[in-house]
Amino acid sequence: MNHTRRKRHTRWWLLLAAIVVLTGIAFAIMWRPALAPLTTAPSFDNARIERGANLAHLGMCASCHTADLSRPFAGGKPMETPFGTVHSTNITPDRDTGIGAWSPEAFTRAMREGVARDGHLLYPAFPYNHYVRMTQDDIDDLYAYFMTRPAIAAPARDNDMTFPFGFRPLVGFWNVLYLDDTPWRPDPQQSAEWNRGAYLADAVAHCAACHTPRTKLGGPDLKRQLDGGEAEDWYAPALNRNSPSPLPWTREQLQAYLRTGMAEDHAVAGGPMQDVVMHLAQADEADVAALAAWTHSHLSQAPLRATPAQRDGPLPAPALDDPDLPRMRLGYALYTNSCARCHDVGRAPSSGTALPLQKAIALYDPDPRSLIHIVDSGILPPDGEAGRWMPGFKAILSDEQAGALAAYLRKYGAGEPAWPQLDQQVSKARAP
Amino acid sequence: MTTYRLQVNGKPHAVNTDPDTPLLYVLRDDLALNGAKFGCGLGQCGSCTVIMDGKPVMSCLVPVSAVGARAVRTVEGLGSSDKPGVLQQAFIDEQAAQCGYCIAGMIMQATALLEKTPAPTDAQIRAHMSPNLCRCGTHMRILRAVRRAADRLAAGGKR
Repeated sequence: MNHTRRKRHTRWWLLLAAIVVLTGIAFAIMWRPALAPLTTAPSFDNARIERGANLAHLGMCASCHTADLSRPFAGGKPMETPFGTVHSTNITPDRDTGIGAWSPEAFTRAMREGVARDGHLLYPAFPYNHYVRMTQDDIDDLYAYFMTRPAIAAPARDNDMTFPFGFRPLVGFWNVLYLDDTPWRPDPQQSAEWNRGAYLADAVAHCAACHTPRTKLGGPDLKRQLDGGEAEDWYAPALNRNSPSPLPWTREQLQAYLRTGMAEDHAVAGGPMQDVVMHLAQADEADVAALAAWTHSHLSQAPLRATPAQRDGPLPAPALDDPDLPRMRLGYALYTNSCARCHDVGRAPSSGTALPLQKAIALYDPDPRSLIHIVDSGILPPDGEAGRWMPGFKAILSDEQAGALAAYLRKYGAGEPAWPQLDQQVSKARAP
Repeated sequence: MTTYRLQVNGKPHAVNTDPDTPLLYVLRDDLALNGAKFGCGLGQCGSCTVIMDGKPVMSCLVPVSAVGARAVRTVEGLGSSDKPGVLQQAFIDEQAAQCGYCIAGMIMQATALLEKTPAPTDAQIRAHMSPNLCRCGTHMRILRAVRRAADRLAAGGKR
């Protein structure tokens, strides 16, 4: 009896020790200290600030941190995630609501570890899992740039997270899984330009944040690098050998695309990619060329295949023995009457570079979301920018018509097998 | 040729035409509603804008066969020279037209905005009106006219 009691005691001690150790580990994962606020205003030389401006364009910081063009970097833009809505923060040097009190160390820690100056963990909607691999010099340049922007008072907006993700320390566990702080290393087999592009794409422009699929936990699926992901409900195409593009990209086309949003006879940027282009247009041209070189090295691994994109001319009428003939006929009628005016038969100088639709990459995507969004909303240049303009058809086409058009374009434009659950995707994408 | 039954400015119409005829042609050629204009025929200029089911559409891009039961409204439904609607009066007050070709489309685009957003900000007006082009360059007056109409409606004016 005495013997069993001692055994029971040992068990309790072991359990208690385990709890203490686990609590310690959990605490170490979830807790970060506050860093001391700056006491004197720092000063920077202009060359640093200019390099920082270029990095801010390449990293598209304003894309999330500017909600209102008249208040640059003041934050407040809502971002939908599977875990709730996160609002971007104020990164102007306002002392109370921005990063004005942040030391270089606090800024570096935020960029590399996703921790705010006061010690709270930032949500990984802020892609610090990419910035962690930026060089210290580049981080210092960015710091110089942001600390010299006009200070704007703008308190953070409350996030709207689903339970339990409102509890920020949980992000610590995400960091254990997905925050890889292995420094970036150049590939000696590749050119200096390629390496510059590879560094910028990974550590600064964070291309993979959208173009790599995410796991259920919202981290990058590292087994499927650049295999196609999503952004704001658009499909972000695979940039590797699984590229859906029906024609191979040349480097020149990629460079033009990244810089202007237009690759002649190949593609026009739509959706969130327009924003990317708007920022890359202002970045250093050689850096964008390097990004194009790197992207091209991945895209060119896609095998060449025969696609309808190699043919010219309008799309064909549906075959008379098509098992889905009434729907295909409706789609074809809408194509000829609404799309083909610009895209094919009536291509006039005023329609500029409207693509023949057999070349439109969205028709070849593994899911129809981007096509539905383009048809519904058109292609509108970002506010105040010049660019291609395609009218949206959401008010013109009923759900049934939009579905029939997408089904027709998929089959007779791309010659690809039907998208599964197209109708559900149409009504989901069009839901108010 | 097929017969299409359309609801335009609250009145039923039957039109015998080809399914691919643009709604714009039907309005102008069959129903003699000449407010909406043919500008580019490519959905790039907005001079053919009408309202379908409460939403602004470029009628040059709408095949008549796609209209179905959706109600269509044109500038003629807003008022007449003797009794202009609020937006029409605001465009007169601001002298917002030079050649006038784009104005019916402008007014319909603005009508759709004010029905959905009765008190728009200036930024909302600009963004909403951006699809519609005016080659004479009276955009600033057009924006003022929409502002004036919105303010009048907010002060209790009738549509």
